[in-house]
Amino acid sequence: MPSCQDVYITGVGKFLPGEPVTNADMAAYIGCISKRSSTLGSAILRKNGIKHRFYALDPKGGYRYTNAAMAANAIHNALKHARCQPEQVDLLAASTTQGDYLVPGFASSVHAELGIPPLAIFSFQSVCASSLMAVKNAWLNVKIGESQLAVASGSEFASRWFRPAVYQPFYDQDAKPDPQIEFLRWTLSDGAGAVVLEPHPKPDGVSLRIDWIQLKSFADRFPPCMYAGAKSNTGADDLGWGLYESPQAAYEAGAIALKQDFEVLYAMFPIWVGYYLELLEKYDLDPNAIDYFLPHYSSHSLGEEMKRLLRRTGAMIAEEKWCNNLECYGNTGTASIFIMLEELVQQHPLQPGQRILCFVPESGRCIAAFMHLTVV
Amino acid sequence: MQTQPRLQSNVTQAQRVLRQLTMVWADFESRLLKVPIVARAMQQQLRLADYLTLISDHYQQVVEGSGWISRAASSITAPYLDQRSVFIRHAATEHLDYQMLEKSYLASGGQPAELISARKNIGSEALSAWMYHRASQPNPFDLLGAMFIIEGLGKRFAQTFANALDENPLITDPDQLEFYRYHAAHDEDHLQELEDLLTSSILDITGMDEAIVRTAKVTARLYLLQLEELGHY
Repeated sequence: MPSCQDVYITGVGKFLPGEPVTNADMAAYIGCISKRSSTLGSAILRKNGIKHRFYALDPKGGYRYTNAAMAANAIHNALKHARCQPEQVDLLAASTTQGDYLVPGFASSVHAELGIPPLAIFSFQSVCASSLMAVKNAWLNVKIGESQLAVASGSEFASRWFRPAVYQPFYDQDAKPDPQIEFLRWTLSDGAGAVVLEPHPKPDGVSLRIDWIQLKSFADRFPPCMYAGAKSNTGADDLGWGLYESPQAAYEAGAIALKQDFEVLYAMFPIWVGYYLELLEKYDLDPNAIDYFLPHYSSHSLGEEMKRLLRRTGAMIAEEKWCNNLECYGNTGTASIFIMLEELVQQHPLQPGQRILCFVPESGRCIAAFMHLTVV
Repeated sequence: MQTQPRLQSNVTQAQRVLRQLTMVWADFESRLLKVPIVARAMQQQLRLADYLTLISDHYQQVVEGSGWISRAASSITAPYLDQRSVFIRHAATEHLDYQMLEKSYLASGGQPAELISARKNIGSEALSAWMYHRASQPNPFDLLGAMFIIEGLGKRFAQTFANALDENPLITDPDQLEFYRYHAAHDEDHLQELEDLLTSSILDITGMDEAIVRTAKVTARLYLLQLEELGHY
C-alpha cells in the first residue's frame, strides 16, 4: 500500500459555448411551446435570478458543440492554466447528467475528443453531484500514487431536452403550462468546467489543497425528484422508458421529458442542512473560518426557517461569503461547481491559508456533496 | 498523511446539542415520506375513512401530550423551579389542542364520542409508555429532546398533510383540516423556549447533553412508528 500524499488542484478551466443569451433571447435557441408557457417562464426567471446563460444549440436549430467537445475544451483550458502537457495526463474522470450517446460511457467520448494517448478513464453519470464524484475519484487516485496528473470534468448539454419537439405530443401549445416541466426549461443551460489534480502544488501561482470530499445519498427515503425516462416518479407510471413497447411509445407517453417534482424538492432541504451539520461536527469546522462558500444553490432558496436554525446552532456561513455565479452563467448542473471554482481562482485575490467550502446538492434523488479546500 | 483542518470552534454546549437535535430531526423528518399514510396522501390516494383513522389515532397522542409534560413538571425539583414553571406553562398551552381534532373529526363525518372510547394504536402505546417513563425520572430534562422532535415532526407532518389534502376532493369543509392547518401555520417560537432552557444550567447536570439527544432519537423513532401503525390496535 503506497503512502498517501496531499493532492492539489493546480489548474481550473471552463468552457461556455457561443455567446451569452439574455432572458429575452432564450426562445430563439430553445424554441417556444406556447404564449402561456413563456409567461410562466418569465415568472420562473424572476425567481431563479438568472440573467444570462449559454447554449450549445444555435438559433438556426443546429448545434455548435457536443457535450464531450465542451468537456474536452474545458479540460484543455484547465491544463493550460496548470501549464501541464495534455499528453502527460494519466487519469480522466468525466461527469455529466447525460452523455451524447446512451452507450458507451461518456469518458470514452471525452478521451477521444481530447486527442491524448491511452489513460485510465472513469465515467460518472448522476446530476449535479456527479461533479464531486469525479473529483473524489481523481483525488483518491492521486492521493495513493495511482495517478500523477489527473483531470476531472463536468459538462452539460441540457438545452437538447428543451426544444418543443422533445415534449410533443404529450405537452404541446394547447397544454396547460406545467411547472414540473417549465422550471427546468427556464433554469438549466449548457457549459463545462474542469480541474487538474497533482501530488504537488504549482511552482508559482495559486493551488488549492483538497482536504476532504464527502458525499451521501438519501435515495432510501426519497422518490426521484429531477428525472427523465419515466412518465411519473410514483405509482404505476414510474416504469422506465426502456420497458415500453418501443422508444416511440415511451416518448408519446411523456416518459422521455425531463421533469422536477417540487414537493419532493422542498422536502430535501432539512436533510441537506442535517448533513452539513454532521460534517461541521466531524471535522470540527468553524463556519466563521470559511473564507469562501461556493454553493450550487442560492441562499434565497434555503428559506428563513432553515437559516434561523443554522444561526441558532452557530452554523451559518455569513451570506457575504456565499459566491454563486448563477446570474451570469445560469445553472449548468454538474459543470456549475467547476465554473464557480474557475472564477474564484481567476478573479479573487486568494491568500495562502484561506479555506473554501464547496456545496453541491443534487435533487435527482437527493444527494449532498461537500468539498473542503485550502489555498496554498 | 495530510492533516485534517482542526479548528478551534467557538460552539457552545447548547449550540452543539441543538445541532445534534437538528440532525436527528432532519433524518427522521425525511423518513416521513416513506410512511404509508403520508406517501398515499401525497399521491392523492386517501379516502375519508383513512382520514378519520388518522385523526382518531393522532388524537390519542395529542390528548396525552399535556399529560406527560405535567408528569415531567411534577418530577422537577429544586434548584430547577424556574424550569418547572416553563414545563407547566407548556402543558397549559397545549392541554386543549385535542378539541381541534374533535372538531375536524366531526366535520369529516365522525362522532367525537368515538374518539374518547378509541384505543391507541400499537405504535402510540409504545410512544406514550416511553414518554411517561421518561417523565417519571427525577429532573427529566432529556425530554427537551422529545419536545424538539415532536414539535418539529408534528409541524412538518401537519404541513405535508395540509398541503396534500388541500386539493383532495374529500375535503369540502375547512373545519375538516383545522388541526393540521393550525399546526402547519402556527409559528410560535418554540425554538427560542428550548434554547433558553438549554442555556439555563440544565446542561451542567452530568451526561444531560447526551441524554437529550438519545431521548430525541428514541422519541423520533416511536413517533414514526405510531404513524406506520395507523389502524393497528
